[in-house]
Amino acid sequence: MAAAEPNGIADITGAVRQGLIPAFLYNDAEVYELERTRLFGRSWNFLAHESEIAQPDDYVVRNIGDDSFLVTRDSDGQIHVMFNMCVHRGMQVCRAERGSARTFRCPYHAWTYKNDGQLAGLPFHADAYGGEAGFVKEGQALLRAPSVAIRNGMIFASLDPDAPHFETWLGDYAFYLDFYTGQSAAGMEFRGPQRWRVEANWKIGAENFMGDSYHTPHTHASVVDIELFGEPKPYKRKEGVLWHAGPGGGTTYKLPPGSDFRSGLAYVGYPDEMIDRMAATLSPPQRALVDEPGFMPSASTLFPNLSFVHNWPQTDAQGRITPFISVRLWQPVGPGETEVYSWFCVAADAPDDYKAASYKAYLMCFGSSGMFEQDDVENWVSITTMARGSMARNLLLNNRMGLTLDGDPIVDQFEGFGGPGTAYQGFGEHNQRHWFSMWADLVSQPAPARQPMAFGMGEQPA
Amino acid sequence: MSSGQSPAPLPYTDERHQMAAQFLTEEAHLLDTSDFEAWLGLMDRRIRYRMPVRVTAVKAADEVDVQTMHHFDEDWYSLRKRVQRFQTDYAWTEDPQSRIRHHVSNVRTFEGSDDELIVESAVLLYRSRGDRTAPSLLSAGRTDVLIPTEEGLRLRQRDIEIDESVLRTQNLAIFL
Ligand code: FES
Ligand SMILES: [Fe+2]
Repeated sequence: MAAAEPNGIADITGAVRQGLIPAFLYNDAEVYELERTRLFGRSWNFLAHESEIAQPDDYVVRNIGDDSFLVTRDSDGQIHVMFNMCVHRGMQVCRAERGSARTFRCPYHAWTYKNDGQLAGLPFHADAYGGEAGFVKEGQALLRAPSVAIRNGMIFASLDPDAPHFETWLGDYAFYLDFYTGQSAAGMEFRGPQRWRVEANWKIGAENFMGDSYHTPHTHASVVDIELFGEPKPYKRKEGVLWHAGPGGGTTYKLPPGSDFRSGLAYVGYPDEMIDRMAATLSPPQRALVDEPGFMPSASTLFPNLSFVHNWPQTDAQGRITPFISVRLWQPVGPGETEVYSWFCVAADAPDDYKAASYKAYLMCFGSSGMFEQDDVENWVSITTMARGSMARNLLLNNRMGLTLDGDPIVDQFEGFGGPGTAYQGFGEHNQRHWFSMWADLVSQPAPARQPMAFGMGEQPA
Repeated sequence: MSSGQSPAPLPYTDERHQMAAQFLTEEAHLLDTSDFEAWLGLMDRRIRYRMPVRVTAVKAADEVDVQTMHHFDEDWYSLRKRVQRFQTDYAWTEDPQSRIRHHVSNVRTFEGSDDELIVESAVLLYRSRGDRTAPSLLSAGRTDVLIPTEEGLRLRQRDIEIDESVLRTQNLAIFL
């Protein structure tokens, strides 16, 4: 363990599990190194949505930590996730961000790969290598992401060949995921992402979307003031239920009294035909979440760094309310820097007029220019800057909201919430603690050593 | 560039070019002095204000074909909301304010249809915040449609070509 005592990892995770966060976790090179190897090396990471590579031969290039991956749809429509490093001498094979290609030719020595990753050709195979006697070309391909899973069209990968089975790992979070990316049998359409870099630690955004309903009334007072979005008023926010289930958690808003599934969705601006589709795709228990007593999912995080947001601002001068969904990734770049990837997401078969209004709602509220996001990021950059100093090494931040000093919840779990998992009404940091307990589980466990792989050497001993 | 323009820019001696260049300078002054209300006054009510996300594409592909997203896609309503937000007491991200400067250059003016002017310019936005983080720069090209009115030129359309695929500024609580 690299970190020096008394800030060793056992102390750190011990504090975190008590709801006390050593402030330097938000900007520390050694902690970041543990996160890189132990956490991102083993977790399920979101890469792209199928709609971003809708046509055969489409591709996008995405990262998990420092690793670049080529996410392709091959000519037969199959999806592949491959490490974007040429197996000859390591050049980045594809340097564009997205496009359409049947083959990828490495710029260095022109090895060529099919879009399913197979090595199709290398110049002078016979002259330079003596053919198969020197380099076994047969069956060689770009390195595959060790584990890949697709859910609601969302493509996830893990660098860990022994990653837990995705669906098992996702568990009860799947119930909530559908509210964001399961709105229609026709699937979702992802647009973007907008990408920008902020001098903030990646954990802060993830935790915030997981359950920080407490910041909304103050941080986002300006958007209430200009009547862009009326919900974040303090009295409304504290009626919401915070839930966590499986590897994620989120916030909700309480719908007006007397709402049912249809009127609740209509209240946040869904047109009838979209409500019909959601009625068809969501299960009775999922519909019951929106039904009386009536909660509407708002922000959420799936561990470690994928977040969702669902809000319903006013999108024109006539007072039209339109919901939008954004999916975002807090992609770490370093201990004090994060690249935000922010997508707009909408049901693929939504009416055009709705898509346009929902896109507008997104641009006004979230993303690089969003009026909510502007104020969020200001906070997160500031925390990260403060966390760098000496004083922060001896400061334990309080992440215990909703617990007494003895560790008992100040209110009972909320009964009658439609969804699975643990639910509390009102403000609390239950979800952030849950997030940090998962964080602690991973950073405290050394990653197992892996067997290196060689290419062109024929069959490798197992 | 938009279609419908003449192939060559107006000469610098042309009064329309001078008016357009002055418009952009005065507009930058309003933004640099946070006079957003006056800035909004320069917009035609039918304003389209757009900034697509730039995508790194291979040379053979047309980048526009792979663009699916904007940083800005604004009309009068949303620009006005953005301005109103800065005028509240709670727009924390700009309190304390950024120190900003719009450097506008490379102005080329073309005759458009009717009396419109198509104006290309380059803008470099310098932004520094507080005393702990490094300043950020945004470089962009702009293609504007200016229309003459009795009160002077008004901005009818702005298409911003930002020169980065990944922005290196914490947010776009600014206008370009
Ligand atoms: S490094 Fe790719 S062909 Fe040599
Ligand atoms: Fe927020």
